[in-house]
Amino acid sequence: MTEPRKLADALPPRAGVALEELRATLDRAAELTRELRDLPAPAPAGQVREELAARLADVESDRTELSHKLAEYEQQVGRLMNLYVATYQLHATLDPAEVQATIAEIAINLLGAERFALLFWKTDAAECEIALQQGMDRDGSGLYINNTYAGGDAAVDATLSDGVLRMGPIDGSDVLAAVPLTVQGATVGALVILKLFDHKSGLRPDDRDLLDLLAAHAASALFAARVYSNTDRKLKTLESLVKLVRRK
Amino acid sequence: MRPKKVLIVDDSKLLHRMFEMMLRQYTLVHAYDGREAIDRLNEHKDVDLVLLDINMPRMNGLEFLAEVKSIVEHQRIPVVIITTEGTEDDTQRGLDAGAAAYVKKPFRNEELLGVINRLTASPAP
Repeated sequence: MTEPRKLADALPPRAGVALEELRATLDRAAELTRELRDLPAPAPAGQVREELAARLADVESDRTELSHKLAEYEQQVGRLMNLYVATYQLHATLDPAEVQATIAEIAINLLGAERFALLFWKTDAAECEIALQQGMDRDGSGLYINNTYAGGDAAVDATLSDGVLRMGPIDGSDVLAAVPLTVQGATVGALVILKLFDHKSGLRPDDRDLLDLLAAHAASALFAARVYSNTDRKLKTLESLVKLVRRK
Repeated sequence: MRPKKVLIVDDSKLLHRMFEMMLRQYTLVHAYDGREAIDRLNEHKDVDLVLLDINMPRMNGLEFLAEVKSIVEHQRIPVVIITTEGTEDDTQRGLDAGAAAYVKKPFRNEELLGVINRLTASPAP
């Protein structure tokens, strides 16, 4: 009788490899079983729910914060855009009438001014010419008449004198804002805002940026346009004279 | 998909410039009074939205709106009135005339963008 062969010997060669793999798999399963046994007991359902609720609250809080930040950024972008467009448009032309129209458009469309006047010191007198006005026919102060402002409003007089921007309410003054207009550091006039549209409750902090911009750019843009316009007119006169002389 | 087309009707160059900055994802058509706006609408049959000022020379915003609403092929176009006329009566008059929205100047850019995006959003299939 032949000696019984070992099981491994009795199997075909590839089956031996498979058997080894099976043994390794069983060892790994046993190891995993031990690991599972050693795991801490699962948290009670209530605790899990609380943790999830806390994490959800965190996520909600983050979302709200991000939403507020996004709204702030959108507002900032809007403000910057207004400033950019206002500056661009002020310097986009060398026609004095167009520059004045732009100043009026900024006051009306961006600041919501219903009644305002643009004052410039006259060169030979202690009073200002009113270069531009809107809604002033309904002004009852009597200070802005015959295209002239001769003083009388404390805030406007102070701004014309010291070149400081003032925003109302101001004691002894009817103005909502007195904006100095400066050219190379010298105050040459002021933009006076007397009334806003009824649907605008008051000047907001971000309006201050626009008023500062007007203080810095409006007068220089207008003066540059006036200088160009005068020079251009003189040039054309000279050219006509030269033509006339050549004909003779 | 083609960008939505917006007709700007306002006599303020400043606002035209501002809308160019604000509405970069839209194709813009410009008009400076109501009569010119009618011409632009006839040239551009695919306008999706009109932004309309009220106080303008030649033909004001309400006259333009009445004309637009009387022309069958333009009736569907939503019109947003953007104006300094801010009383309740003014608002009601604009909405009664057929405006889809009424925005008072000065406006906050993000608020106006919200209105424009809502009115130009493609309808759900």
